[in-house]
Amino acid sequence: MKKILAILLAGMITATALAGCGGGNGGSSSTDSKSDASSGSGSTDASAEKVVDANTVDPELFGDEDNISLKVWAPSQALELVKKQVEDFKAAYPTKTFTNIEVSAMAEAESGTQVLNDASAAADVFGFASDHLNKLVDAKVLSEVAFVNTVSEMNAPETVEAGKIKGTLYAYPETNDNGYYLVYDKTVVSEDKAGKLEDILAACKDAGKKFIFDCGNGYYACTYAFTAGVKIDGLEEDGVTQKFVQYDENEAVKTLQAFSRLMHEYKGTFTSLDVAQIASGFSTGTLGAGVDGSWNTNADQKALGDNFGAAKLPTINVDGTDKQLISLFGYKYIGVNAASKFPASAQILAYYLHGEKCQEQRAEELGWGPSNKNVQGKPVITDNPIQQAIKQQSENACVQVNIAPTFWNPMGNLGNKLIADETDPEDAEYFSKLLKDTVANVRDEG
Amino acid sequence: MIKSYKARRIISNGLIYLLLAIMGIIWVSPFAYLLMHSFRLESTIAVPYLVPQEWTFQNYIDLFAGAGSSSAINFPRWFLNTFVVACFSCVISTISVLAVAYTFSRLRFSARKKLMNVAMILGMFPGFMTMIAIYYLLKAMGLNQNLIALVICYSSGAGLGFQISKGFFDTIPRALDEAATIDGATKNQIFWRIILPMSKPIVVYTVLTAFIGPWCDFILAKIIMGDKRELYTVAIGLQSMTSAEFINEYYKQFLAGSVLVAIPITTLFLIMQRYYVEGVTAGGVKG
Amino acid sequence: MTYVEYKMLNPMQKFGYKAKKFLVSVPKAIGRFFKAIGLGIVNFFKAFAKGIKNYGSTFVKGDWATKLSYLIFGIGDLSKGKIYKGILYFLVEVFYIFYMVSFGGQYIAKFGTLGTVETHTEKVGIVSKTVFGDNSMLILLYSVVTIVITVVVFAVYISNIKDAYKHQVMRENGEKPTSFSHDMKEFLDGKYHITLLSFPVLMICVFNILPLIFMILIAFTNYDKAHMPPGTLFTWVGMDNFGSLFNLVEGAKKGKTFIELTEWTILWAILATFSNYILGMIVALMINKKGIKLKALWRTLFVITIAVPQFVSLLLMNQMLQTNGALNVLLSDISKMFGGGPVEIQFLNSTTLMARATVVIVNCWVGIPYTILSMSGILMNIPEDLYESARIDGASPVKTFTAITLPYMIFVTTPQLITQFVGNINNFNVIYLLTGGGPTTQDYYQAGRTDILVTWLFTLSMTSQDYGLAAAIGILVFIVCATISLIVYNNSKSMKDEEAFS
Repeated sequence: MKKILAILLAGMITATALAGCGGGNGGSSSTDSKSDASSGSGSTDASAEKVVDANTVDPELFGDEDNISLKVWAPSQALELVKKQVEDFKAAYPTKTFTNIEVSAMAEAESGTQVLNDASAAADVFGFASDHLNKLVDAKVLSEVAFVNTVSEMNAPETVEAGKIKGTLYAYPETNDNGYYLVYDKTVVSEDKAGKLEDILAACKDAGKKFIFDCGNGYYACTYAFTAGVKIDGLEEDGVTQKFVQYDENEAVKTLQAFSRLMHEYKGTFTSLDVAQIASGFSTGTLGAGVDGSWNTNADQKALGDNFGAAKLPTINVDGTDKQLISLFGYKYIGVNAASKFPASAQILAYYLHGEKCQEQRAEELGWGPSNKNVQGKPVITDNPIQQAIKQQSENACVQVNIAPTFWNPMGNLGNKLIADETDPEDAEYFSKLLKDTVANVRDEG
Repeated sequence: MIKSYKARRIISNGLIYLLLAIMGIIWVSPFAYLLMHSFRLESTIAVPYLVPQEWTFQNYIDLFAGAGSSSAINFPRWFLNTFVVACFSCVISTISVLAVAYTFSRLRFSARKKLMNVAMILGMFPGFMTMIAIYYLLKAMGLNQNLIALVICYSSGAGLGFQISKGFFDTIPRALDEAATIDGATKNQIFWRIILPMSKPIVVYTVLTAFIGPWCDFILAKIIMGDKRELYTVAIGLQSMTSAEFINEYYKQFLAGSVLVAIPITTLFLIMQRYYVEGVTAGGVKG
Repeated sequence: MTYVEYKMLNPMQKFGYKAKKFLVSVPKAIGRFFKAIGLGIVNFFKAFAKGIKNYGSTFVKGDWATKLSYLIFGIGDLSKGKIYKGILYFLVEVFYIFYMVSFGGQYIAKFGTLGTVETHTEKVGIVSKTVFGDNSMLILLYSVVTIVITVVVFAVYISNIKDAYKHQVMRENGEKPTSFSHDMKEFLDGKYHITLLSFPVLMICVFNILPLIFMILIAFTNYDKAHMPPGTLFTWVGMDNFGSLFNLVEGAKKGKTFIELTEWTILWAILATFSNYILGMIVALMINKKGIKLKALWRTLFVITIAVPQFVSLLLMNQMLQTNGALNVLLSDISKMFGGGPVEIQFLNSTTLMARATVVIVNCWVGIPYTILSMSGILMNIPEDLYESARIDGASPVKTFTAITLPYMIFVTTPQLITQFVGNINNFNVIYLLTGGGPTTQDYYQAGRTDILVTWLFTLSMTSQDYGLAAAIGILVFIVCATISLIVYNNSKSMKDEEAFS
């Protein structure tokens, strides 16, 4: 009973942490509590799911499937590891014959599109980024998670929640780290200055170095809107129109102006470039700090060595109060193709790959942040400053699920306009109109 | 008078040399930059100076050594794929183009003008949306994720680009055909024995343009190949090296790969340049 | 105006006269074009009516075998001893019936609705299995395939009847059907066009025309982000997509985007075409000027641009034009030499004017080598005697140029100019790889300031998944391009004096 309470509590805490950002599934708290309740009462159900442990299930769940042949997609840097894990999977079920389990490389950002193009030629089990979830579910190419209760128990509640649409869990949580955070050169920006955007920029300017934030890319630029209180809240009933929370327009405009003011004040320091330029900026010594994605961590670390610093996004001072920058934060999931010829086997393999052992291996070998609660508590994560920075940022973020396809371009435009030379940061009316246009464009109105 | 004319000519020629030199530098410098930085050792994407500080062959070595059946990047295989596809599609395209051009230039039949008009405008439809249709058509034929599919895609529309070749054939005097007809030659024999041997420039031109195509397309090929990375062409491969997932690690290899792709095409071009010019000129004048 | 009067005009007036003449001819050409289309439609219906009449009268006049050919392909030919053709006709019918029963029929039956059975999930054991319903996209695609095959088979059917009747008449006249080997020989001579065209036409039909019809039909459906197969069905919506493109109500972004992008597309096509043409001609003239040495070297310098795949050179250009790219580094170095600070010009993503100028200039870099190549050839081909006589008349080099070289070049290259114009309307690579449409703006729907219609179409279909809208734009672009080229080609010198050299 204690455990159930703990889960409920954790769920509630995340619900408050994500308040406004609403999580994925339409964000209504009623569905949250309902699903939590069902997972609570489901501790008996969990045993009904015939799960043996955190990695394997009862082999009889394979049903009459044998001579199993499956295809798995994994991003190229994880390819070797996943191949090894697949071998372990085969060994874990010695009674079954596996004709062929093929593992091929496919970026997580791309797999969703590939599955949508032709589900029957796609992998049976594939990793994907959370923003594809609603598209995949709408197209009905994702098979529901078979071991809902166990999976819900094993993984961090926010990751489980974000994987649900209308209360149904559609994918196995894989990582908890798909976002961006602050990276900096410790010789330029000292650790105590990394908390405030103003300090970071001043330090970079003093050192004659740059600060990179990709304003033209909606993925990063939506930070400005979110920080200004213009947060997303899932999709409308129609399933394609982005919903925003109620926001205070006055406050929002002031925040945008504060960003724009900083960008103009630190013109020449605050630069908008592709995040791929961050690693090379560090290695050539032209860059002091930047906002970079978690997947570039290795390259950044390699470029800076011991001087590599990582932190959550800084704050920005708006009218005397320091506001935390709110980012877009996503998870990675393992999905099971609904068109799979071996649906049960695919579920069991996905369960294995999402399991504790595999997550720990990925955390150790690839530095991926796990969603599994047990692995999250292990020293490989708790002693890792990068993982901690990412985790802290995830607490100040909107979840990257249920994003309308029309979201990215208008958000990129918002960032571009904030930094544009011809924009006057003091022109409040301009920002008010810009904000309205941006929201209208995201919602595809008119 | 003559002296001043000469002086003027020297000055004007000097100016022209200067202009040509400047423009030549502008045109070649991006490639010089590409070549230099493909040998760069330091940094990943950008450096704040023009000439690399440390030089290395490592990028080229990695491009080949990093390749294995398991690796996501398999440049040698991609290169081979592209070469094979280019060769086959180039043969089919050339035959199609020449056949269509000869038909429209030399043979007279009822629907000729109408067909020419239709052929001319068909190529003008922006084709992005047709790609998914092409994918499913190929799939229905069991050809998806297959190099044959690429050959088909690159050579299927070739017949539509007949204008320049037709223009060239138009310039060959018809008296030749007539004389041959009197001697009892069929249209088939005229095509193979008289017209084609006289059309070296336009054949070279067609072969060259058809050969280059597969090295450049990265959209359609990607849709057809999907996850079959070992069947990628260099264009998709190089493009994927600049995707967010790979760019930090592979940008310098992308530069090296680009150089390697440019070498065969440039060489071909330089050797065949004379014919290319003749072909495009003769065809263009009438086309 | 007589020739003498024309000769007495000053150059400005001459130009004005020519320009006027050109402008007057444009509406005429357009008029002729639409008249031709109108005539074509009328002729089509006439032919159709005649066809139906023949269909009936042949049946009345036909013998038993010809009559049976109306039901079973090839019977007429078989009964008259034209065995191979009869068998071929028969096989076509067998194939068609087999195709319709096994594949085509199920799709064409749903063509009207584009599917009604929704995809749903069922729980089987531990797994929930998706039971796929109708896939609107595949229904549409395979219906198009079926329709095209049906049209072709119908043509074969008609030809089968005609052939049966022809052989019936031949028998009545006591003639024998031609032999197999004779017919085959005919395909190498009299009917050689059929031999040569059959393969290219087949390929074009399957991989160009079929997908094209598919795409045209998509424009009349609501295939978009809310109606994505296989999960959801889409259906016919008539002209709705065109409606939203021409919706010019204040605040309607799609209509505004369409109109303004059309303007820029046309401006872009004009700028890109003429900048390439004029600059290319100047460089070609410089290279080919008498007394300039190393002609091959100069040409080679430019030709390298053609030989490097465009996406490589454009991606490279994109990197070089970033604020920390090679060009800004170079400018900074120069500026530092003169004691200035670092230079960070935003070539691609600041003002509309800067970005547009950049794409036009980079397009020159990409396109001029092609112009140089073709112009060089033409320059070498100008008949030498023209220059000879000019020299004898004591014409100055400038005069020779304006009186001989320039008119000759313009005359000869006009068709190319039009091809390039249409090509630039569809010039995807330069814009997409260089700016990706930017600088961005909040005034447009999913488009930026340098986006032309085709790149917008690409964003709509790849990013925001408005397939129906994208297809509608595709159709409009196509109509404009096709009209321009048909008018120009059918009025061009080379088309009119096609037999000139023969």
